Amino acid sequence: MMAATTATPTDPAMGNTGSRAGDGGAASESAVVAGSGAFADYALDPRFHDELFRGDGRPRDACQRLSEALNRFPAEELVKLQEGVYRRFLHEGITFTVLGADEVSEHIIPIDCVPRLITAAEWDHIESGLKQRLTAINLFLRDIYSEGRSLREGVVPADLVLGCPQYRVEMRGVKVPHDIYVAVGGTDIVRTDTGFAVLEDNVRVPSGVSYMLACRAATKRSVPGLYREHGVREVAEYPRRLYSTLASLSSSTTRPRVAILTPGRYNSAYYEHAFLAGEMGVDLVEGRDLVVHNATLYARTASGLRRIDVLYRRIDDDFVDPVTFRRDSVLGAPGLFHAYRAGNVVLANAPGTGVADDKAVYAYLPRIIRYFLNEEPILANVDTHLCREPEGLAFTLDNLRDLVVKEVGGSGGYGMLVGPHSTTREREEFATRLRDNPTNYISQPVLPLSRAGCFVDGSLQPRHVDLRPFTLHGADGQNVVPGGLCRVALREGSLVVNSSQGGGCKDLWVLRS
Amino acid sequence: MLARVAADLYWMGRYIERTEHTARLLKYQLTGLVDSPADELALGWQVIYRALGQSPPMAPADVDEAEAFMMADAYTLAGSLVEDHTNPDSMVTCWGMARENATQLRPQLPLEVWTTLNRGFLWIRDCDFPGAWKKRPATLVSEGIDRLRLLAGVVEATMSRDNTWRFMQLGRFVERFQHQTNLLCTWDQLGAPAGADPSLSWSDLLRVCVAFELYCRRQGMTAERDIVLEFLIRDPEVPRSLRFAVQRIEQMLVGIDPLGSRHPLVPPRRVALRLAATVEAATGLVPDGERTEAADNRIADRLFAQLAGDGRRLHDLLVAEYVDYPVSEGLPS
Repeated sequence: MMAATTATPTDPAMGNTGSRAGDGGAASESAVVAGSGAFADYALDPRFHDELFRGDGRPRDACQRLSEALNRFPAEELVKLQEGVYRRFLHEGITFTVLGADEVSEHIIPIDCVPRLITAAEWDHIESGLKQRLTAINLFLRDIYSEGRSLREGVVPADLVLGCPQYRVEMRGVKVPHDIYVAVGGTDIVRTDTGFAVLEDNVRVPSGVSYMLACRAATKRSVPGLYREHGVREVAEYPRRLYSTLASLSSSTTRPRVAILTPGRYNSAYYEHAFLAGEMGVDLVEGRDLVVHNATLYARTASGLRRIDVLYRRIDDDFVDPVTFRRDSVLGAPGLFHAYRAGNVVLANAPGTGVADDKAVYAYLPRIIRYFLNEEPILANVDTHLCREPEGLAFTLDNLRDLVVKEVGGSGGYGMLVGPHSTTREREEFATRLRDNPTNYISQPVLPLSRAGCFVDGSLQPRHVDLRPFTLHGADGQNVVPGGLCRVALREGSLVVNSSQGGGCKDLWVLRS
Repeated sequence: MLARVAADLYWMGRYIERTEHTARLLKYQLTGLVDSPADELALGWQVIYRALGQSPPMAPADVDEAEAFMMADAYTLAGSLVEDHTNPDSMVTCWGMARENATQLRPQLPLEVWTTLNRGFLWIRDCDFPGAWKKRPATLVSEGIDRLRLLAGVVEATMSRDNTWRFMQLGRFVERFQHQTNLLCTWDQLGAPAGADPSLSWSDLLRVCVAFELYCRRQGMTAERDIVLEFLIRDPEVPRSLRFAVQRIEQMLVGIDPLGSRHPLVPPRRVALRLAATVEAATGLVPDGERTEAADNRIADRLFAQLAGDGRRLHDLLVAEYVDYPVSEGLPS
């Protein structure tokens, strides 16, 4: 692309480009030091792994070129870059919708223009861990909706799985195409001083991939020379790979007709649904566009009803089909689940996958991996205390001040307590909730999320980040996009990266070598 | 193409055209604020509001239409048509509706189309109408027209000539046909009664329709009622003539449903053909040998009433044929 090969006048890669440092290899020592120059406001904290600098304040090997470029970059130019990105997002409508009590408002997710770097070796580790994890999750889901061997043998407590609100009894005995329950997964990964760990598996309707692509487009336009010189792996293939994955699930002998099912224009992720439909060249349908006739799914077109073979649904299980699930749903299509059971349409992801991203089931993922794959987990889990168990509840209640407490089915940063940032009153309220309904909660230690360089309030400062890569699993194999949504807690000291809670995002550069 | 998408494209085309139509009428009126007498301005507002099918805002119930416009102030009358979010036909509302439709169409629209439409909407949503009114009232509307024409150009330059484009154009020209019919009818009824004072000139109507220069080249500088009306109804090369709109409607329908793809002539095409025949035959606005003002008006009123009725019927049939058809009729054979 032109943007990737042409340096702009403000591109820090222009002029003195410094020396190229390998990842971990010997390199000439950079003149850049955290706490001085453009990094004067960049205060390192030994409690947190810093993505940009080592403990001694020098740039990490892979980040030397980036830090040198940032050091040369006038702050006012960075301000212009940020403003340019904001304007472009505003004009192109890269927004998320927030429904208020009286009005609907559109918001732009804050983008930080400083990329985060991941080395090739680090990415290899993450990628193999993600593939292992998604393979195990699919085997686990097949098992719990068929033989239930893992439940009988106590790998995961049967009452935990069968009592999980996301367990769909309607899925028992359903022949899922290629046994792929989760075709699209988004896994939240954090880095602490002990390495990478999985914080959450999102295997229902993971979102954020459009922001990954928007961030990439923004950095390619803003710092094309720097991007080119870093040898960054490309993410633009994602829509094509997603289509290929979805199409592979169909048994149609001709080109399968794929559609994306969206709750509609006022859903917070609508931009992403529309973006993916446009990039894949498929219809973006709503429930009102769908008709089930003779256990076959059709879309109402301007020239009659047309069959749909694969539906990438971006609505929760509850809303898929008012006949089978929530009766008041108008987002899905009556009879859709019947068509699915009959094998006349593929739903991706399959209903009932939410069991695998329940935060209590999450604690058992290492055991699930060992049981189904006979392998050790490549990516670690975060220590998790299950409040459904007396010891876990007691430990959580005794240590509320130091723990993060989450609802097992929660998401978006809602319904959680961050102990160190909570008031006495909030802890008391949570303790009551825990005692009243312990099975609904888990607790985890407050993680020292790593920090990455961000341009905030006119200067470069460290902020906590996480990472959500996306894994595709089709009949033609698995695919992990070399990148991901890198979420940033933009408020100083905050550990909450969710966009609904003041978080932003930045581009993630996976280096080729 | 999804039926809902076809409807959104159709309505997007209609709302964009409606916004532009309102802006053109306003530009003509606001330009005249500088030197036109008050009674002529009031008549101009009356023509605009009636042509748009609207009543004057905050008009007392006990005064007639003409008097209401004499009493109303230009700021209120213009503001209602430009920036009033509660007026379903104001420019900001229509622009917003077009954007709402476009939001539903993101996968179908080129990014350039969406961005140009969105930037225009953000501009009018955030524009300072009171401030603009104090400086140059017509400038704000002119900029709106420029932005809408930029959008039309981007549509022309970036969209494939498939059904996405056809449904949008269909909406655009159905809207144009209906609005132009209303405008010609209203101007004929209110704008220039013989010997009346005040009156609006027929050359002004040509300017509102962006057809003055072509008219002068074809017919000379004298703008007479019968010739102007026939020109704006029948000339196939005037973008805002009824015939031009009907021809485009026909072209779009043929493209959407090539002959033989379904039953020979879908109902909307029948009405479009009838409209075309009516417009082409509209040469007898002045009956031979018995020309009187009353006869002129009767014939013109009948014609406009027929065209307006067929325009509404065309819209209803389009929706019934492509959007709201019974499921049983849409099942594959």
